[in-house]
Amino acid sequence: MTLFSDSGVMIQGITGREGRMTAEHMLAYGTCVVAGVTPGKGGESVHGVPVFDTVLDAVAALGAGSIGVSVVIVPPLATLQAVADVVQQAGCDVVIATEGAPRHDVLRLLAIARDAGVAVVGPNSVGVIQPGRRRKLGAIGGDRPDRAFVPGSIGVVSRSGGMTSEIGLTLKLAGLGVSAAISVGGDDAIGLPPASAARLLQAVTGTRAICYFGEPGTAFEEDLASAIAGGSLTVPVVALVAGTFTESLPEGTAFGHAAAIIRRGSGRPSDKRRMLAEAGAIVVESLDDMASAVAGLVGGAG
Amino acid sequence: MARLLEDDAKRLLSEHGLTVPSGQRASTAEAAAAVADAFGGSCVVKALIPIGRRGKAGLVELCRDSRGARESAGRMLGAAFDARRVEMVLVEELVGIVSEHYLSISLDAESLEFAVLISGRGGVDIEEHARSVVRLGVSPSRELDTDAAVTAWTAAGCGLHAATLADATKCALAAFQELDATLLEINPLAIDSSERVVVVGAMLAVDDAALARQPRVAPLVVAGSDRATRPETELERRVADINADMTQRGSARYLELDGGDIGFLCGGGGASLLLFDALVRAGGTPANYSEFGGNPTEQRVYDLARVVLDKPGVAGLFVAHNITNNTQVDIVARGVTRAISDAGLPVSFPVVAREVGVNDDEGRSVFEAAGVSYLGADVSLDQAARLMVERMKAVGSR
Repeated sequence: MTLFSDSGVMIQGITGREGRMTAEHMLAYGTCVVAGVTPGKGGESVHGVPVFDTVLDAVAALGAGSIGVSVVIVPPLATLQAVADVVQQAGCDVVIATEGAPRHDVLRLLAIARDAGVAVVGPNSVGVIQPGRRRKLGAIGGDRPDRAFVPGSIGVVSRSGGMTSEIGLTLKLAGLGVSAAISVGGDDAIGLPPASAARLLQAVTGTRAICYFGEPGTAFEEDLASAIAGGSLTVPVVALVAGTFTESLPEGTAFGHAAAIIRRGSGRPSDKRRMLAEAGAIVVESLDDMASAVAGLVGGAG
Repeated sequence: MARLLEDDAKRLLSEHGLTVPSGQRASTAEAAAAVADAFGGSCVVKALIPIGRRGKAGLVELCRDSRGARESAGRMLGAAFDARRVEMVLVEELVGIVSEHYLSISLDAESLEFAVLISGRGGVDIEEHARSVVRLGVSPSRELDTDAAVTAWTAAGCGLHAATLADATKCALAAFQELDATLLEINPLAIDSSERVVVVGAMLAVDDAALARQPRVAPLVVAGSDRATRPETELERRVADINADMTQRGSARYLELDGGDIGFLCGGGGASLLLFDALVRAGGTPANYSEFGGNPTEQRVYDLARVVLDKPGVAGLFVAHNITNNTQVDIVARGVTRAISDAGLPVSFPVVAREVGVNDDEGRSVFEAAGVSYLGADVSLDQAARLMVERMKAVGSR
């Protein structure tokens, strides 16, 4: 697991508009970006980062083990190939920023990664950030991560990329900070579901509590509740599940994210909240309440 | 979940080796009768709308002759089901059904497999036979194992025809994969009097995200079929057109709601859910749900804002996002304020904007110059929603 380390970072799709901007912001924050990959653009450089034609070329030039994680920012139809390449040729963990990859491709790429024992965050993830290390993997925090994220002891897991930052901001305004934050991605087929993400954060040094942002649809909150009840997640969890209003609207309508959809009575925020509360999570209705609940857990110096 | 009409789905399935009944569309009762005559009188008339469970809704009828077909088509055409008007019927030759079975394929995001569900007991009451369903998980990197399929159909009580049903299952899975389908439901999958496996009822949904590489399927998708229970409204269609303009960056989503007075112009995916809940909790009634982001251009923001403001009864506008990672607040401000100005709204029309993130100093200036109540990072999303509802009450009480 190299998501939370000082290992080198590669960006697949670094020469695209989003790739360039993300690379610039990651470097400015202090992230160790060591290589970029875009087929046909080998030999170029982006903000001083060397670009290679293939993952294999990057690994050969930099040496095995020099790349710990790859951020994938490629067009939707190129995502499967990009992930297959990095899993097979570098064997490193992956953060997929791309939104809108075909569902069959996502199923395939997640199966490839699972079989290879490689961790995948996303697709449709805005990224992972560790303010204490000044390391961010992806666009998370944009050009000014410090506005929303300051170092501290709270882990953040969110199905919404934007809310990952908003929770960071809320904690900061409450005098608290973040040990690490993970945007798991807005889809239902994702490599690191919330329960697994929370377990990872619990192992990040200094994490004393976890803030979770959930949405309608999927069984992610139910699984998170099981992880808490089953004892594999022992740090306190403060959870907010948004989208109550969707329960009074026709089923089968997607809101915001592709996965935020109630089908045949399953995926209701009210059920998710009840299960999380029964498992022992502190369930809140607003970010204001989230901040005060966390402050109550860790004291002022979070 | 972009759905296809049944005859289009069946044509695609037949190209993958499955047997389907002959059929033809008819948009009048007379035309339906003529098709029935061509089939020798006895036929099946089906309402051609992209929803499942039509049998239970009386939208599938067996007819003995062309007169029956005319009457059935006449009953169905123009009728509404789930607010969807029936504009065409499908008239099919009658299949001599000996036994009815069930086959569906979907994507299982949890196990990362194609989930193949089969049952020996198909037909309109399949849900009552949920316990008879056998599940076959197929890894995306492997083909369906013939022996496993035969075993599954045998377990489902179809031992006599297990081999042919297994072949049909393989064809269906190949079609599912090649068409980038998200759901294929064949019910009933029938054995006819010649012991052939026939696709009698079919529902096919494909992945919108894959349409770019499915040029033959894309034109067959029924617009707005991802809406669960009703067709698109005119305002929703305008937003679909806005999104179709590929020259503009960013994404816009809009769902029209019954009643309400607060125009809801928010994003991103999670924050829009939180903000809507917060308005409702504060006693507000949003007139729509919307969600925009992805660093949209000024024109895209403007176009969406005009749609939100054009809904009758909208008496205020709530603009809010989470702190943005890449959406530029100054561009949002320009699009929103231009829309407000062009909509010719009264000075008293309340507009509250809580927009924080990229270029928000400039954004604040643009909003404030237009008389919008601008809220910054020190105001939480919940507080912003409460302020919006207070402004609505202040205007309403005058």
